[in-house]
Amino acid sequence: MPKVLTVDDSRAVRMLVSKNAREMGLEVAEAEDGQQGLAKTKEESFDLIILDVTMPVLDGPGMLQELRAGGNKTPVLMLTSESKRSIVSSLMKMGIEDYILKPFKPDELKAKIAKALKMAGPAPGDEALVKEMASIVQAPSANDPKGPAGGKQFVDILCIDDMENVAKRLRTMIPEHVTLSTATSASAALAICRERVFRIIMVDNDIPDVDSSSLMRQLRVMQPQAAFVMLSLRSMAKAQDEAREAGFVGVIFKPFDQSALEEFLLRYFDNQELIAITDNVISISAFKGRENRLPGYFSQITTLVSKAVEEIAAACFAEVIVDISQIPLLPEKTGRMVLQLSERTRKVGLEIRLVGSAEVSNNLKQLVETSDLPVFKTVEEAKAA
Amino acid sequence: MSQAPTPGAGAPYQRLAGEMEKIVINRISNDQLILPPMPAVAIKVLTLLKNPDFSLKEAATTIERDPILTVQVLKAANTAAMASRDPIQSVLQAVTRFGVQKLRMFLIEASARKCFESRDARIVEAARGVWEHSLAVAMLARDVVAFSNSGAPDFGYLGGLLHDIGKPIVAAMLLEAEKAILGAKASMTWIGSGEWIGIINRIHRQVGVALAKKWEMAEPVCRSIKDCDEYDNSDRLSIANAVRFSNAVAKQQGIYVGNVDADDIDALVMIGRSLLGLEPEVVVRLTEGLKNKAKESMA
Repeated sequence: MPKVLTVDDSRAVRMLVSKNAREMGLEVAEAEDGQQGLAKTKEESFDLIILDVTMPVLDGPGMLQELRAGGNKTPVLMLTSESKRSIVSSLMKMGIEDYILKPFKPDELKAKIAKALKMAGPAPGDEALVKEMASIVQAPSANDPKGPAGGKQFVDILCIDDMENVAKRLRTMIPEHVTLSTATSASAALAICRERVFRIIMVDNDIPDVDSSSLMRQLRVMQPQAAFVMLSLRSMAKAQDEAREAGFVGVIFKPFDQSALEEFLLRYFDNQELIAITDNVISISAFKGRENRLPGYFSQITTLVSKAVEEIAAACFAEVIVDISQIPLLPEKTGRMVLQLSERTRKVGLEIRLVGSAEVSNNLKQLVETSDLPVFKTVEEAKAA
Repeated sequence: MSQAPTPGAGAPYQRLAGEMEKIVINRISNDQLILPPMPAVAIKVLTLLKNPDFSLKEAATTIERDPILTVQVLKAANTAAMASRDPIQSVLQAVTRFGVQKLRMFLIEASARKCFESRDARIVEAARGVWEHSLAVAMLARDVVAFSNSGAPDFGYLGGLLHDIGKPIVAAMLLEAEKAILGAKASMTWIGSGEWIGIINRIHRQVGVALAKKWEMAEPVCRSIKDCDEYDNSDRLSIANAVRFSNAVAKQQGIYVGNVDADDIDALVMIGRSLLGLEPEVVVRLTEGLKNKAKESMA
């Protein structure tokens, strides 16, 4: 277990440092001044010394000087209320690892201790960021926007445009399960980016008083995981080139074109969100888009469920339960989809059990090919069968 | 016949430097500084913008009276950063595209830029370097302020832009003082560059603050220019601290004219990171391509 020595004349600071270091699984020793600190280093060796500057008997620079003169090269982290450049500069020359200004936040202390000790894994200060990143890598269900994201709310898209109608229009053209936040000014965008984690950030290239490129750069620091897309009018010459030059991943032209928007969304949104798989249960999400998108919805879920069926077969389950209770009641489309699924399950050697309402059951009974398929009211019933 | 001594070497030149510094300091303390005024057109437009019922057309017409400013406005409105749609061809189109805040920033920037222009070959190159440094500090400070949520990012930008504005003004005053002391022989000698830089570094902040006040800059901007060397512990997330930090980072990145004490700068960056709560990785991201961006902005 790495050992840390905290040298500070303030008992409160020593206690705080000790508490945080112990929380990190470190062993901690304390000293009230430089002289006591030196004595401790002669008694035992430490992996890190956390040292104050101003102390009675022997101050921090004095202790550090004697330590180095004696050949002791233990990393030293200065923890001080001293911010004079000349003093900090002279301490750096004596070889300090890093510096923390009092009053300090526990996160900063922990991050710098971890860094100084070169501990494996992420520095504690990066935990929030790591959680945010993990939440995105794991693609949390967009239906559950309050994903982990370091305690922040996860949102799929942020639309930054001074024209309120742009976000309103966008809302009507993207599936309902895709969450959307809006900002009509740079300050509102910066504020919302402190609160939430976004997957895609759309920035209009024509916001009054705002340099879109520098706004994007600022936001990128806060949202390193997000893809930045420029919103532009079609008439803008060389929009793609300018967007790329400025660091955007692409351009979406206004007014929005439904198919271009869908093509774009497909690149960034995992279609798995349309279905959820738990063990051998496939739950199909409800359709929340416009009616004219229904054929696309059925075709997508048919493809996705077919793939999922193969995975379930590969995991050696004997049966697959497909919950279709949320899908729209369109007899012809539902029937065709179920038929394709039952053929698929048969091919891979799985028994299919459906979950749906009485209406769904009646509809399926109308078709010869699907009339024999068992339809249960709940997933539990299907599992128990 | 005795040979003329090398400029900047020996006691006579140190005395000369001392005399010149005294002249400039006296002017500051006697409130006799002749500071470059903001260009008349810029003042007029900035005054117009203060009126809630201002007309952009009037602002555009006023700008058109200054041919240099007109060219600058059109150029700025057609840069990639402004991501214009069709090429902007009139000042009215340009100012409409800018909007009030951006236009205000543009006018201050254009006015500041004028201070860094000189007909004297001895100043021109150094002034270019200082301007590039100022632009880099301005851009970084704006991002640092935005990231640390410490106030209006535009104040950070202006603080960075103007933090060294006293330098070219002091340089011009030194030239003038030299002429006053040496008269016709002025062209033959000049104090050494070390002395020249030393004087400028000692007094430019006072001049910069005076100019910022004259130009009616906001208090956080004036405070960013004053005592830019040490951090203010009592107000950790101040605009001034963001500018100080950005100044140190720009120097660490080599975007600076003159010598720097590397240990000193490293210390300033280290203190600033802790003060502003910035992880090293964040600083790396914020400074990506900073030099190039500053260069592009100068073009």
